[in-house]
Amino acid sequence: MSLTNEATTTSTPPTSPPTRSTDANARRDRILEFVERYALVMLFALTFLFFSVWSKTSGTFPTAANIRNVLGDQAVVGILSLAIIIPLVCGEFDFSVGSIAALSQVLCAGWMSRLGAPLPLAILGAVGVGALIGLSNGNTVSRIGVNSLIVTLGVSSVLVGLVEWYTKGQTIVLHISKDLTNLGSGNWLGIPRTLYFLAVVAVVVYYVLEHTPYGRYLHSIGSNRDAARLVGLRVEWLVLLSFVFSGLLAGLAGVMLVARNGNADPLAAGVPATLQALAAAFLGATAIKPGRFNVVGTMVAIFFLAFTVSGLSLAGVANWINDVFNGAALFVAVVISTVVGRKRAGLA
Amino acid sequence: MTEVGVGSDGAGGQDASAGAVAPALELSHVSKAFPGTRALDDVSFSERRGEFHALLGGNGSGKSTLIKILAGVYHGEPGGSITVDGREIPAERTSPEAARAAGLHFVHQNPAVFPALSVAENMAVGHGFQRTAVGGVSWKAQRRRTAGLLERFDIAARPDTLVRDLRPAERAMVAIARALQDQEGEHSGLLVLDEPTASLPRAEVIRLLGALTRYAAAGQTILFVSHRLDEVVGTADTATVLRDGIVAGTLEGEAITEPRLIELIVGRPLDRVFPEMPEVTGEEVAIDMRHVAGGPLVDVSLRLRRGEVLGIAGLLGSGRSELLKMLFGAYRIRSGEVALDGRPVRFRHIGEAMAAGIAYVPEDRGGEGAFFDMTVTENLTAALVSRYWKRGLLRQRVADADARQAIEQFEIRTPSEHQDLSRLSGGNQQKVILARWLLRRPRVLLLDEPTQGVDINARAEIYSLVRQAVADGCSALLVTSDFEELAHVCDRVVVLNQGRITAEVVPPDLTPATLTELAYVTPEVAS
Repeated sequence: MSLTNEATTTSTPPTSPPTRSTDANARRDRILEFVERYALVMLFALTFLFFSVWSKTSGTFPTAANIRNVLGDQAVVGILSLAIIIPLVCGEFDFSVGSIAALSQVLCAGWMSRLGAPLPLAILGAVGVGALIGLSNGNTVSRIGVNSLIVTLGVSSVLVGLVEWYTKGQTIVLHISKDLTNLGSGNWLGIPRTLYFLAVVAVVVYYVLEHTPYGRYLHSIGSNRDAARLVGLRVEWLVLLSFVFSGLLAGLAGVMLVARNGNADPLAAGVPATLQALAAAFLGATAIKPGRFNVVGTMVAIFFLAFTVSGLSLAGVANWINDVFNGAALFVAVVISTVVGRKRAGLA
Repeated sequence: MTEVGVGSDGAGGQDASAGAVAPALELSHVSKAFPGTRALDDVSFSERRGEFHALLGGNGSGKSTLIKILAGVYHGEPGGSITVDGREIPAERTSPEAARAAGLHFVHQNPAVFPALSVAENMAVGHGFQRTAVGGVSWKAQRRRTAGLLERFDIAARPDTLVRDLRPAERAMVAIARALQDQEGEHSGLLVLDEPTASLPRAEVIRLLGALTRYAAAGQTILFVSHRLDEVVGTADTATVLRDGIVAGTLEGEAITEPRLIELIVGRPLDRVFPEMPEVTGEEVAIDMRHVAGGPLVDVSLRLRRGEVLGIAGLLGSGRSELLKMLFGAYRIRSGEVALDGRPVRFRHIGEAMAAGIAYVPEDRGGEGAFFDMTVTENLTAALVSRYWKRGLLRQRVADADARQAIEQFEIRTPSEHQDLSRLSGGNQQKVILARWLLRRPRVLLLDEPTQGVDINARAEIYSLVRQAVADGCSALLVTSDFEELAHVCDRVVVLNQGRITAEVVPPDLTPATLTELAYVTPEVAS
């Protein structure tokens, strides 16, 4: 206790910040914080270890081929989860990322296949369409003021329909640039090439969210929108921009999808991918920087989810478990982050 | 009106009556620790039936924690207990249900009334409606029942009146009546009022206190949490002061005086809470408003001189907050002119006002100022983020170092600059927000109720910081409902009344009484 210290600080400024906690308390707080930060990482490690030694999966799970496959497959959902956390940081939902990716992939493949468009143009066009949809989402949300969940849910449904119309339900397979598909299937230094792209995008998003004023502004808006406005931020514009970025990244995820699959399946990505990305984003917000949507936590969450699903399916569990597991993970993540948040506020 | 309470005080003295009758409320050995803080340390006090008992203390003194334990939001530590009318609740087993069962009734700072609903509907919330035979609402019975409650609690309203049309004091009284309605007729239990006057104008406070005194005289036991000393002096039968989680002292009746209370709250005698004001003010004009209109403002002309603190006295709704927001580019000016340092300006958005050297500390700390889940550093640097953007990176270490310096300079009490703002006490949160703007070295500082919900110690510190900034060449425009503060802190005060400046007051006429009179009188009478 520092009663006297507290009472006299008015006349004499403290030379060092007053600490009210005893050493034991402080140590306990630090340990708790450490556990909170790295619980997901530890859980991931344990799960990985479990599937590596469990008799049912020990033969298939820890092989280079399986690990490479799982890693390679995560580029698309990984980029989508990075796309989704940008608006989440400022308190907005973008539920359309999976559907933007679905549209972007059929357009990218379709333009090459039907119009003979050169690869750079197809990529640029597909990413551009994603950004445009993001612009429209952002405009509706921040300028008109409609709830972002409703806007993007509606847009998502429209996009799913457009994909169906454009492809007539057929997978686009012909005349897709070999340069693109090589990128999606090959390895560099034994690591799937798509993973390098995910890493680059993750670093860029991390940099933007944590090391630029724009990222700080988004965090401020997410924390208290009115206060953000009153420190001079152009809130509407910044929020709008967050949707443009998420749309742009979702468009890029669509291109990655073509690269990985070598074709454009109208049923790929879409709403299930959005849910997966959302699960990773919320799960990621319980780790590394608990209580904040953050890039590193999200990446840990992506691979935790992917390796767990892979382990389960190698163990012979039915396919539907996939959806149940991802949904349950989202549910559990939101519950945990709410409980953690309440505890931090001292209500538990 | 207060004969009953004061009489029993004077006649028997505390020991005699306490010996004869069991206390209405008895707290014994209540403790509570949070990680890093001992919020309550062995707190014991009791209260007689029909007593108006004030609970005072600065921010961080533990009074909010105590109220939350009573309400069952927090649990105390084992060993303590709370006894209401002879029913004992162990401190570690408090709960909202137990509080209700024991007869504890709470009315909080912003009473949870529903402005868009009628008084009768408000009464039914939480209690249930009067029903007809088939289960629908019987509006007739509901109105009759409400009319009875309004009479019992002496509220000037009709059952069908919408709560938003009531005066603020009446709104609080409706909340009190709703809380107490279940104990029809008798005065069992305890009414806990958690700073019910914090956002009320002076006249409404007097009204509400009058009503509370009447309820106490009629036998209602009241625990009244406040940090406004003038409300307690002359009103409360007993005052208990908490400081740093312990009972610093208890005063009875005549012994409750402002100097004694301040001494207990602060922990030492305080000669002057407010800093001396310097005499000189330059004639250079920082802000010149001419015939400005917009929103509730009809026609406002005023001059803020360089190096002065100009106060604006006005009641809620007089347009005082809008006036500040106009100068900050956050509220539209319909007509009129504003000049800053002699140059006409018309800010289209807040960024322009900030670039011109204007800073604004908003009235509603929680709603418009604080980033609770962000760190002290992030809060301090929120208005200067771009300063730390160098060669493609936000220089976090530089920001932290600046924050540490600001923490020292502004005497912000926090274990570290990485602490979430929500963990700081209200007064220190407010200092962070003030510091956020002072770090920009503004030319004009707009302060809207900068000491609302802040304890007396922090209040003095905040004003000395403002004084210091002004001494360094800044000018300040101060809005506060506390006319005592205006009189002490400002060089000059203008009175804003129904959208117009109706008077200007300078020392030696600058007294709370003059300001109160001028703010309440209607412009027609004044002119």
